[in-house]
Amino acid sequence: MRVPADILIQNLFFAYPPLRPGDDAVPVLKGINLQIGRGEFVALLGRVGAGKTTLCMALNGLVPHATGGVFRGDVTILGQNTKTSAVPDLARMVGLVFQDPETQIVQMRVEDEVAFGCENLGIAPAEIEERVTWALHAVGLADYRARSPLRLSGGEKQRLAIASMLAMRPQVLVLDEPTASLDPAGKTAIFKVLAELRARHEITIVMATQELERIARFADRVLVLHQGQIGQDGPPDEVLRQVSRLQEWGIGAPQMAELGHLLTQRTGRTYRFVKMADAYRELSRQARKLHLEKGRGVAGGTRFSSRRAKTDQPQIVVRELSHTYPDGTVALKQINLAIYPSEFVALLGPNGSGKTTLAKHLNGLLKPSQGVVMVEGQDTRTVRVAALARLVGYAFQNPDHQIFAATVQEEIAFGPRMLELPRPLIAQRVAEALDRFRLIPYADLPPALLGFGQRRQVALAAVLAGQPRTLILDEPTGGLDWRSQQELLEAVAHFHHLGHTVILITHDMDLVARYATRAVVLLNGEVLFDGTPQELFGQPELLGRARLTLPPVARLARRLSRYGLAPDICTVAQLAAAWQARLMARKGKRGGQKWSADAIARPSASASSKARGSDGG
Amino acid sequence: MAVSFDLYVPRDTAIHRFDPRVKLAFAVEATLLTFLWPTIGVMVALIGVCLLGFWRARIPAARLGGVVRLLAPLLAMVFGLTAIFGTGEALIAAGPLAITVDSLVRGALLALRLLALALIIFLWLFTTDQAALVRGFVALGLPYEWGLTLALALRYLPLFAALFEQVRDAQQARGLDLEQRGFRRRLLAYRPVLIAMFISALRNSEHLGWALEARALGAAGVRRSTFRPLHLRPFDWFVLAILGVAFIVAVALRIL
Repeated sequence: MRVPADILIQNLFFAYPPLRPGDDAVPVLKGINLQIGRGEFVALLGRVGAGKTTLCMALNGLVPHATGGVFRGDVTILGQNTKTSAVPDLARMVGLVFQDPETQIVQMRVEDEVAFGCENLGIAPAEIEERVTWALHAVGLADYRARSPLRLSGGEKQRLAIASMLAMRPQVLVLDEPTASLDPAGKTAIFKVLAELRARHEITIVMATQELERIARFADRVLVLHQGQIGQDGPPDEVLRQVSRLQEWGIGAPQMAELGHLLTQRTGRTYRFVKMADAYRELSRQARKLHLEKGRGVAGGTRFSSRRAKTDQPQIVVRELSHTYPDGTVALKQINLAIYPSEFVALLGPNGSGKTTLAKHLNGLLKPSQGVVMVEGQDTRTVRVAALARLVGYAFQNPDHQIFAATVQEEIAFGPRMLELPRPLIAQRVAEALDRFRLIPYADLPPALLGFGQRRQVALAAVLAGQPRTLILDEPTGGLDWRSQQELLEAVAHFHHLGHTVILITHDMDLVARYATRAVVLLNGEVLFDGTPQELFGQPELLGRARLTLPPVARLARRLSRYGLAPDICTVAQLAAAWQARLMARKGKRGGQKWSADAIARPSASASSKARGSDGG
Repeated sequence: MAVSFDLYVPRDTAIHRFDPRVKLAFAVEATLLTFLWPTIGVMVALIGVCLLGFWRARIPAARLGGVVRLLAPLLAMVFGLTAIFGTGEALIAAGPLAITVDSLVRGALLALRLLALALIIFLWLFTTDQAALVRGFVALGLPYEWGLTLALALRYLPLFAALFEQVRDAQQARGLDLEQRGFRRRLLAYRPVLIAMFISALRNSEHLGWALEARALGAAGVRRSTFRPLHLRPFDWFVLAILGVAFIVAVALRIL
């Protein structure tokens, strides 16, 4: 007997109501057909704005019931058509967890929050009690019952949101980018909870996400939403191996898949792996077969360049800086730091380690409790924030905290206008920014109505238009797809190549490997490490203490180091080149001609721009 | 800081465990007394009762001190302004202003009444978590939607405060000078902050609406149930009775 699908979507077409009256409706989904069976863990990939959120919201009826718009086709959940059921009634079958934990928590106490949905379903208090206990246990928050949600971390809030849905005992759990704003520890906790729910309770999970690496490990099926349709559908190993297609679609691929793709292209052999374990097995098997072992030379290696000349005057000097918040929290303790012109500094550390607090001292938003911060020779205590903004630009994590203007142009012009630049220069800066960020078609639209990826670009374009000598970026890539990340970082790298200083707050070690010339790690308000990324990557004990993990490819390189790979490899392009060099060396000795020299000499045009980290050196 | 909006001080004391309706009854009764029986003695007595309550509820002195510090300028002003407009035999006189025994007493009474009212309300808010507060109101007949609205307002107040700070920081970082002189100029300078905040708040409230629906709020044909329903324990009834008797006695004494 065939078990009917939990989710059945037939010919789904959806268009949002037009942004401005008189315009055409905006089609997002253009003919989706899909079946999802009981207990599947389905990852939904797609670019920002591809319609992932729309599809998630169609699964619990919010599309079209709450959004309006043109809706054709059928979405059937456990046999019930969403067209004919109200959202609150569908909630018995489908739980939906949103991206932002803040706007889905409605109570002041964890247990009340979990109970809220059950109360709305009229469930008896004794049973609610049972369900609350179970749901909190399932997400690992059993000890938090009486806490205020305000005191939870982002990851804990998101787990609370999941528990709140679980308590209503839905068969299907839909999550719309639940980890986009979390740190690595928070992300891992969410994925573990979901894997557990699927395994122990046969809950069907649909998760829209950009987490390529974690999907490869956790999901059993990957859907790719491209141009309003399901472009790819299959197990992660199959879908994620289509590296060229995924890159062309702007989605990107996990590092291991990218590595396999690059090696296949360059060596003429086929490498088929998506997961770390498979990559290790395949490469080490090959190494043993060809007798590649250490002592016959080491290939690869990173060349981090610090463009700092010894004679340079530091641009920003932090001396004995301590900061205590009014509520008594000591956020920074005795920080000493000098930042030189044209450095690209990555500021790392777990949440709550003081990264943002330190960064806010560099443009005067916070003043030292003790110690001094000098920006280009000026003491930040004596200069207004508005004056420091000429020297130090700061792009905040959430673009919506700065977007206010009626058009994209005006938004970008705001910074330069505040700096009282002459009019023609402002116009020129705005034109440049629009061009660089491909925002020309949107110049006259209200930025607040654009998609998230574009809002982020507008926000960064607006900060760059002021051309500050130093640029601070706070987690600029969260929630962006691969292509948007590339575009954004290319703009930042370009800005850096023009000689500006960049300070990047991030959790993404791959970005550190590819772009940074210096890494500063904070832990509990103190500087734990200050040096090159290369040095940092070679200190596993220190990385562990700061809860940082190496990019997958760097971990693989370390595991393969006994076959003659330099242990400081940290990008896909480096590893691919190093492996190729090892094979070449081997070949040279044997005099074999298995691979054409042409395939090897080919420049890495096909390599993604992830190669940047090595060719900058 | 956002934390200051979270008034509730979690403790496990008898006062915390009272039914919220009992605490509400005390607050209402004590407030009525400050108006029905406005003498310095009664005010001092009420302040004493509240202080005893704060002590028994193990509210940290710092929290109480914060409230008093906040009120101190207002209390001083009320006392001062009342005291200098005395009529009759002046202790000290300067032009139209005169300080009399009577005006001093009146000033002290007004200031003490204000202090008593503040302590009564804070005793209630410090010891009652927001969910219980709302359940108390709903149990007294307030429609659930109103109660939920109140709960959401209480929940989102700190978030809006934090949002305001973040937006202000973001705009200042772009060169917006908020340290302008003059009220009008400063108000104009705040425009980008307020607009960005307004847009974010609109976006948040749309998402909140979706989240509530996704949590089955308003499910058809369902009578909403209550997790942790309120129960008046015998001890609550006992305290309510004492409050009732005390009130009758107080009113009787006042009238006789």
